[in-house]
Amino acid sequence: MSTSSNSTLYRGRKAKNKVMMALCVAAAGSGLAWLALILGALLYKGLSGLSLAVFTQMTPPPGDAGGLLNAIYGSVVMTVIAIVVGTPIGVLAGTYMAEYGRFSKLTTIVRFINDILLSAPSIIVGLFVYELLVRPMGHFSALAGSVALAILVIPVVVRTTEDMLNLVPNALREAGTAIGAPRWVVIRSVAYRAALSGIVTGILLAIARISGETAPLLFTALNNQFWSSNLNAPMASLPVTIFQFALSPYEEWQQLAWTGALIITLTVLGLSIFARSLTGRREDR
Amino acid sequence: MKPMLSTELNVADTTAEKAKIEVKNLNFYYGQSKALKDISLSLPERSVTAFIGPSGCGKSTLLRVFNRIYELYPKQSADGQVLLDGKNILDRSQDLNLLRTKIGMVFQKPTPFPMSIYENIAFGIRLYERIGKSEMDGRVEQALRRAALWTEVKDKLNANGLSLSGGQQQRLCIARTVAVKPEGILLDEPASALDPLSTAKIEELIDELQADYTIVIVTHNMQQAARVSKQTAFMYLGELVEFDRTEKIFTSPREKRTQDYITGRFG
Amino acid sequence: MGEHTVASFDEDLGQISRLISDMGDLAGSMVSGATKALLTSDNALAQRVVSDDAIMDARQRELDDRAITLIAKRQPMADDLRHVVGSIRMAGDLERIGDLAKNIAKRVGSVGISATPRDLSHSIDSMAQLVLIQVQGVIEEYAARDAQALAKLRADDERIDVKYTSVFRELLTYMMEDPRNITACTHLLFCAKNLERIGDHVTNIAENAYYVLTGTQLPANRPKLDETAIPAPAA
Repeated sequence: MSTSSNSTLYRGRKAKNKVMMALCVAAAGSGLAWLALILGALLYKGLSGLSLAVFTQMTPPPGDAGGLLNAIYGSVVMTVIAIVVGTPIGVLAGTYMAEYGRFSKLTTIVRFINDILLSAPSIIVGLFVYELLVRPMGHFSALAGSVALAILVIPVVVRTTEDMLNLVPNALREAGTAIGAPRWVVIRSVAYRAALSGIVTGILLAIARISGETAPLLFTALNNQFWSSNLNAPMASLPVTIFQFALSPYEEWQQLAWTGALIITLTVLGLSIFARSLTGRREDR
Repeated sequence: MKPMLSTELNVADTTAEKAKIEVKNLNFYYGQSKALKDISLSLPERSVTAFIGPSGCGKSTLLRVFNRIYELYPKQSADGQVLLDGKNILDRSQDLNLLRTKIGMVFQKPTPFPMSIYENIAFGIRLYERIGKSEMDGRVEQALRRAALWTEVKDKLNANGLSLSGGQQQRLCIARTVAVKPEGILLDEPASALDPLSTAKIEELIDELQADYTIVIVTHNMQQAARVSKQTAFMYLGELVEFDRTEKIFTSPREKRTQDYITGRFG
Repeated sequence: MGEHTVASFDEDLGQISRLISDMGDLAGSMVSGATKALLTSDNALAQRVVSDDAIMDARQRELDDRAITLIAKRQPMADDLRHVVGSIRMAGDLERIGDLAKNIAKRVGSVGISATPRDLSHSIDSMAQLVLIQVQGVIEEYAARDAQALAKLRADDERIDVKYTSVFRELLTYMMEDPRNITACTHLLFCAKNLERIGDHVTNIAENAYYVLTGTQLPANRPKLDETAIPAPAA
């Protein structure tokens, strides 16, 4: 083998490497650029409207100054209910799939359906809950909104719970069994503890997901100009409020929309960072 | 297929010592395929027995029959008799959880629970006994001393079990096993993931433990089997080829297959 | 015999076997040389036997080193272990045989052929031939892995013992007949004793070889028919 053909091959490979590297960097850069642009716009437009009033005053009628208190409150309430309802269902389903039914046909079917539900357009979920709850009840309600959000939470939690439990090495379960622990004790004390940070991460991600969901709320909780803590009545929420205000011609409303968007973004960012720090701590061990 | 050699010829008479576990015509199946073929042998109490053989010969499978841990997996089953102190543990009516408190198991990869060192040991005890804190403290200390780990961890009992080194984790697993006061201990290649010093400590531990427990160890390392055990069983392709006193197996085995394996003439 | 998966293990074992067989051949030639030198008063041959002993010693040290290194490196088991340990023991016995042959050769000058009557010379020669057959036989049978033959060879040692007893009595007779014979006959006595000792070492080798080949020991009681220690009935 002559050295000259070797070096041509080598130089060719080096050149190709440089090109690919450049393409990769460009792609990463462009992704980051978009993110920077969005964050930048949010901060620029939203920060100026951020004040204590946003958190203490209700949504104003057009032309007046006000805040987002009822919207924030509504989002928080509906999110909390959705999590409280959706998490146990999700965790238990995930537990069944990973522990008891690991080898069963049912698990395969459920996993498949779950994955579909995970990526289902949320507007369909909203429509479904509309038919299920809003029509029979005759009116919109925060309850219906919470149910819609819960339906969005469940697949996320099921997926992460199952995945995290599957990551727990079988040897650990065998060790628990070998010491005489019954099945459910092994799951509770060994598997759950080992997968805990992963499952919590899943819940946090679910929260992050539903924080920004607008479509399902449109059909279920609608929106409320005024303060309401009645679950049986329409309730304001940040996403819907943003939707309404952003499309309006009023400047104060548009400003509040930007601020609301900033609040949501910062909350989701904060949750994601927190979730990441949990997993990071796990890996350190 | 009947095994080529009758086990009576090649199974030493260990009935002089009291048998803790007696295996009679044991067959084991992974689905349709037979992994253990008509195994019969007798394990004396308070003594170490080693199972050796090439990969896939069935030694780990046989070990896992003694605490029926294969029941966790649906496609695995066994028939025949395995008598623990005369009672057949393969019987339908055998309570699996109680069986596992009588026969403990230590695995190849150290598996401390994701809890503190103290909790790791208390966990097993709490399952079946209700005792107060000071008594529990005593039991934990006793178990850790038995596993030659006490001096190293006595000041950090609340540290996470996973913060220990590999050798220490394995000794923690052994401590956890002896804490529930079993009668037998099954060791599945306990030292294969450890460095030579930790391995030596584990072997010393086995030496001490055999005074009180019936121990069965599966190992790839023949020198370890020779050092640690009193009797050795050589298995090949799911059959028990030879079972005899360790000195005999390693100085003048009866079977050519045994000799070929231990001298490195296999394949 | 199957080959080891690690081929260099077989080479190491082979080197030890070759050393044993070389030492065995050397032992045979030393014994035959020493007795020939004794009976024909050949001082040159005797010198060669004496110098051969240095080679024998060197071989034994080499075998010791190789065997110990092999045990450390390879952790031999079962038949390999018996082979190595057996070789260490056999090398020791072969080296002693060399020493005894050297001892015989050293006495050649002190005996002198003229003083030895033909009958005596004949007895010693036939005893030496028996011993030589044993020495050569044990190495051959070990190489041929013939455990039965080794057991028989061990039993055959009794013939050497019987012969020694009769040579002993002959020498006593000559010494009693003529005091001028005493010096020569005493040396011959030592030579005969050395030959008998060589025979005993050969039975050791045979026992070790039997253990190496079969894994069991020959029964401890070896027939001993050396009756020289038994006091003769009062004349």
